[in-house]
Amino acid sequence: MQKRSVANFTIVALAAGMIVAGCGSKGPQSQTTTRFRFAVIPKALDIPVFNYAKIGAERKAKELGNVDILWNAPTSADQLKQKEILESYITQRVDGIAISSLNGDFLTDTINRAVDAGIPVVTWDSDAPKSKRVAFYGVDDLASGRIMGEQAVKLLNGQGKVAIITSVGATNLQRRLDGARDVLAKAPGIKIVEIFDIKEDSVRCAELIATGTNRYPDLGAWLSVGGWPVFTRNATAPIDSSKTKVISFDTIQPALDLLREGKVHVLLGQKYFGWGSEPVQILYDIKHGKNPASPVIDSGVDVVTKDTVDQYEATWKKMESGS
Amino acid sequence: MKKLLALRELSTVAILILEVLFFTWWLWPETARPHPFLNSGNALLILKYSSIYGIAAIGAAIVIISGGIDLAPGAVMALAGVIGADLFVTQGWGLGPAMVCGVLVGVAAGLLSAALVVLVRLPPFIATLGVMGITRGAAFIITEGQYFDVSSRLLGGWRPLGLPADWAAPIVLLVLALVFQILMTTFQWGRAVFSIGGNETAALFSGIAVGRIKTSVYALSGLLAGVSGVVLVLVQGQGKADLATGYELDIIASAVVGGASLSGGRGSVIGAVLGTLIFGVLRNALPQIPGATFYDRLIVGLVVIVIVVMDQLLLKRPRT
Repeated sequence: MQKRSVANFTIVALAAGMIVAGCGSKGPQSQTTTRFRFAVIPKALDIPVFNYAKIGAERKAKELGNVDILWNAPTSADQLKQKEILESYITQRVDGIAISSLNGDFLTDTINRAVDAGIPVVTWDSDAPKSKRVAFYGVDDLASGRIMGEQAVKLLNGQGKVAIITSVGATNLQRRLDGARDVLAKAPGIKIVEIFDIKEDSVRCAELIATGTNRYPDLGAWLSVGGWPVFTRNATAPIDSSKTKVISFDTIQPALDLLREGKVHVLLGQKYFGWGSEPVQILYDIKHGKNPASPVIDSGVDVVTKDTVDQYEATWKKMESGS
Repeated sequence: MKKLLALRELSTVAILILEVLFFTWWLWPETARPHPFLNSGNALLILKYSSIYGIAAIGAAIVIISGGIDLAPGAVMALAGVIGADLFVTQGWGLGPAMVCGVLVGVAAGLLSAALVVLVRLPPFIATLGVMGITRGAAFIITEGQYFDVSSRLLGGWRPLGLPADWAAPIVLLVLALVFQILMTTFQWGRAVFSIGGNETAALFSGIAVGRIKTSVYALSGLLAGVSGVVLVLVQGQGKADLATGYELDIIASAVVGGASLSGGRGSVIGAVLGTLIFGVLRNALPQIPGATFYDRLIVGLVVIVIVVMDQLLLKRPRT
């Protein structure tokens, strides 16, 4: 008897669920245009620059009108959790995925699975070049690393010691590191004294800068392939800027103020808003039968110095306000 | 017992001295330039960064001595720091009141852990694991992935009581270490903490208010994690939800290396502080050896095992 009531309850519950689901699905079907659900996945939610990508993606979605953005990522950089999120969007059958890969090789199979399931994938910021992703939008990391190396050689007039800051694991950071090392190795007067792995910990970055400055008082330049040293004023405080140059990725405040004050000498800015808006546009075009002309879309990089910082900030504010 | 503890602390001091001597020798400069490791500036640097862990490690040691465990300090540090920074940067509060609020959030988190352990009777591991998730999650909700730039509001330098800012963290650590060492060794409350950790049932039958003492232990652990969090924000110059991620394990390891027994009833506040200094020296010296930056996690892991095994062999004590 009890078994029968459980069975009856289950049937009623299932029927109710189907009715509710049916009512729910009636709304979108009744609309004249199809709504697209695009999942946009940054590397982590705790990396400040990705917030501008979110603004870019949401602004583009609003502009297109019939796009919903599903913004999700691990709270902090975690390759496995990012893969889990990607897999969940495949099972949810979203209409497109835009992802900044924490580890491109690690995600290749999953990205291929999404594409095979008919979900177009666009990578941004950090690529998964061996996968079937339709396109990549972002900086050419190897070229960006080379630019950093060239800036260091230029600032040091080809002579001096350089310490590099990175975080081991991310494909794009590794490529930037490779590019920088490539150029520095070709300058006979330049010596890389150390490559510091800060393990994505900004406190560790500040500690290592202080330790490294103490260890190498004659250091010519710090070169950081990520923005950790310029996200706070305190990290670069131990550096004597009259002796040691600082070249870093990323341009969000207080980085620009540090540049103005001469504490930092060269910043490399990425197309933060474009990280969000461009992949959404590409996915939207794919949904309308238009594939990008090239699978790799180089966003370019802004080289910002003391001379160009005011102009750069004016452009930034314009983009931030959406005007 | 006191003799044993003194001996244990002495052996931690000996390990620290050996460690300093080793790196002094290893990093001895070839030319006449100043020693990169053995100089006052570097010593202050080690003290500054060790203090961040050390303040929270005092709380971790007290919890471990009471027979419990607190997995939340790293997350509580982040939440306390984020709230202090938010009030200071975006709400325009004064530095003092904002940071006091941050510390009070730490106390609240500690009281939540205590309620789960004492009232709900959850195992401390599970209770504090839950609080760790709640506090880290709250920090993320507040920041939404952004950070509060405290450094830009402290322009012109921050001189607590007229002292250089770099001295603030070590002074806070020193004062708290002395206060809690005295509390643990000369006050009835401290003896009760040891008794509960040694044998909770016996403590209960001897009339100790076990629930109340445990509540105070977790509340103090939260308070110390809160202080550590605001110190971290002032040292780092930013309040960010992912600050101190994974620090709870370093904090617990410091307490254990300093002589705290995970089965409760043994350990010391001074030992925990010495433990953080052992790790602080490693964190500082290893990156000064070319190529060692990628090996430091491995070396730190080995050091924990070696020190605890040596401790057991030398003192012939039961396993922690």
